[in-house]
Amino acid sequence: MVRNIVVLGGNSHPELVKQVSDTLGVPACNRILNKFSVGESRLEIQDSVRGKDVYIIQSGGGKVNDNFVDLCIMISACKTGSAKRVTAVLPLFPYSRQPDVPYNKAGAPLSKAPTDVNRNDFTFESRPPTPSPSQAQSVSLPNGQEFLQKKLGKTLLDQQNGHSYSNSITPRRSDTTDSVPLSTNGHTRDQNGSSSSLNGSTVGNQTFTTHDYENYTIMNNSLFNPKPGYKQWVAQAGTLVADLLTCAGADHIITMDLHDPQYQGFFDIPVDNLYGKSILKRYIQTNIPDFKSAVIVSPDAGGAKRATVIADDLNVEFALIHKERRPTRITDRQNATMMLVGNVANRVCILVDDLADTSNTITRAAKLLKNEGATHVYALLTHGIFSGDAIARINASALDRVVVTNSVPQDEHVRLCPKLEVLEVGSVFAEAIRRVHHGESISALFWD
Amino acid sequence: MATNSIKLLTGNSHPQLAKAVAERLGINLAKTMSLNYSNQETSVTVGESVRDEDVFILQSTAPGDINDGLMELLIMINACKTASARRITAVIPNFPYARQDKKDKSRAPISAKLIANMLQTAGCNHVITMDLHASQIQGFFNVPVDNLYAEPSTLRWIRQNLNVRDCVVVSPDAGGAKRATSIADRLDLGFALIHKERARPNEVSRMVLVGDVENKIAILVDDMADTCGTLVKAAETVMNHKAREVVAIVTHGILSGNAIETLNRSTLSRVVVTNTVPLGDKKERCERLRVMDISPTLAEAIRRTHNGESVSFLFTHAPSD
Repeated sequence: MVRNIVVLGGNSHPELVKQVSDTLGVPACNRILNKFSVGESRLEIQDSVRGKDVYIIQSGGGKVNDNFVDLCIMISACKTGSAKRVTAVLPLFPYSRQPDVPYNKAGAPLSKAPTDVNRNDFTFESRPPTPSPSQAQSVSLPNGQEFLQKKLGKTLLDQQNGHSYSNSITPRRSDTTDSVPLSTNGHTRDQNGSSSSLNGSTVGNQTFTTHDYENYTIMNNSLFNPKPGYKQWVAQAGTLVADLLTCAGADHIITMDLHDPQYQGFFDIPVDNLYGKSILKRYIQTNIPDFKSAVIVSPDAGGAKRATVIADDLNVEFALIHKERRPTRITDRQNATMMLVGNVANRVCILVDDLADTSNTITRAAKLLKNEGATHVYALLTHGIFSGDAIARINASALDRVVVTNSVPQDEHVRLCPKLEVLEVGSVFAEAIRRVHHGESISALFWD
Repeated sequence: MATNSIKLLTGNSHPQLAKAVAERLGINLAKTMSLNYSNQETSVTVGESVRDEDVFILQSTAPGDINDGLMELLIMINACKTASARRITAVIPNFPYARQDKKDKSRAPISAKLIANMLQTAGCNHVITMDLHASQIQGFFNVPVDNLYAEPSTLRWIRQNLNVRDCVVVSPDAGGAKRATSIADRLDLGFALIHKERARPNEVSRMVLVGDVENKIAILVDDMADTCGTLVKAAETVMNHKAREVVAIVTHGILSGNAIETLNRSTLSRVVVTNTVPLGDKKERCERLRVMDISPTLAEAIRRTHNGESVSFLFTHAPSD
């Protein structure tokens, strides 16, 4: 029983709120949190928070924007309700991983697009090229009436067949083209994995994942053309989210396994970044037979550090998968090929990563590991978001077991995926909250 | 290349309005794209330079998607800020959370203030909005807020569509009395008021009419119609006092929940709203609904703000269509 403390839960993860409040021996604060019919969030806090140390638990899964705005409103309400200190507990930090248009060895990402004749912003050469024997004849009038007839006929046919302008005469982009195509309403509501395709997203359904930026041709050709000569970029919401939490009145942040450790620096308030490492390590030690001869594998270079720490602690070998983004000549579409550094033949492999969203990375890594002779592939993740068709992808993949923590609700995922196993993190957060409240060291939580 | 021109950006909430404003201004919408990933996070892609430009971001509030729209707006503002825009103006015709503007109960959130803070934190330098639920919300900001009025458009609609001499202006609640009296004054009409006691939000209780509406066309004037409970009850009250006809003129037609069904069953002969909020198919579902286009007012406010001209002219005059 901890005194003078209030645990306030959002709607994103009631189960975790219950775990934390049970562990602390403090009942969760009574509140009404729902929506008005217009869609605005409505909050009423029914217990007093005056002079209290308030911990607001809200994860970043599910309807991210609703949950985030709810969190800000809760923080602000506690602050104006004279709470002594407001700590936002975000087991999964929203917007912590935003993709950028990837670096491409062929040059800037856009330099590849102009090969397509049908693109809309085609401009003509100012002068026709000087004719020479080696050159194809130009399409201008000197080719005679007959040529013109032929071309016109072909154009007509193409239009009837649904292609437009298959010859090189492309009309200039009309200047009234809308920048945001209306048909591509970003708020697609069919998120229930209506597509069963396993490689990438489906453009027809307009459901996009963070992985689509790796295959930027989907993004470019299907719905969006940046201004010619301007390299499009994706807004990074990281600092903004940090600033918004501070602006709402948060005094302290507790989160777990931030995708980028630099993220802590975006805040001007203390951020306690807990590690899922010890939970995952305990799982390896107790549940994987003969783990000493296993290999810990990091599915990308970014997670190498996270994986090596575990490998070092357990004194097991380590391998790394290198993602080569150079477009291969055979299949241009599959422009991220993978390469294994290390030996996994006839070994058990344990993939370690902080987060799986579409599960593209881990499922492909598992396939590669199996091809390289791995006997058994485990994936250990801190955050299992599993959006889109991730669950279907995992079920069909070479992964033998996927282990995640319940930093976001996993009930639904467990129901659909027999390979999934869930570890509890409620006690870690409860302990962190207890320590923060009493002013004890958090770093003691990091050892073991 | 000419610098510091108007760049108009828009999110997904109300593309039609943005298009209308852009057409009125004679410019193209800037090339941006915002979408939701499968993990429900919002992503904004910018495909055009905004460096040293005067950026206007138009984002309304689509019913049901308030928080998504809000995050989209904040991310867009922040993207323009980090992309070195000279000035960023948020054009929010219908300010979200405007009704949560006071601490009416213990520990009630003042969400409107929070939204104001968030907009400023994101990097907004100026706000243009319309018919704020409470004009005091302007005080929540430390940046200039231009609160435009739909009143000039409303007056024009009344003059064009109703026999002004037979009308009486009715405010459905005490809070809207000022808005209603202002219209009554401009049209030189009588005024009546309905007093109500509200038990719970989105629900209405007892109503009392103060004033005379007998044998008149009653014009109910309000700033927003959400579930339309108030409006319909007010219309009934007015009709019970022997009004000839009752017309509602509302700036923000949010019309959420069962609003359309409620309106179709009501005694209101016409419901006039502006296009600050996307109406979707509501116009087809409710033949009493009329829409006033306020994009000229917004476009003119943007043009005047950009050129450093006075905006107050727009408080009394509506630009012609």
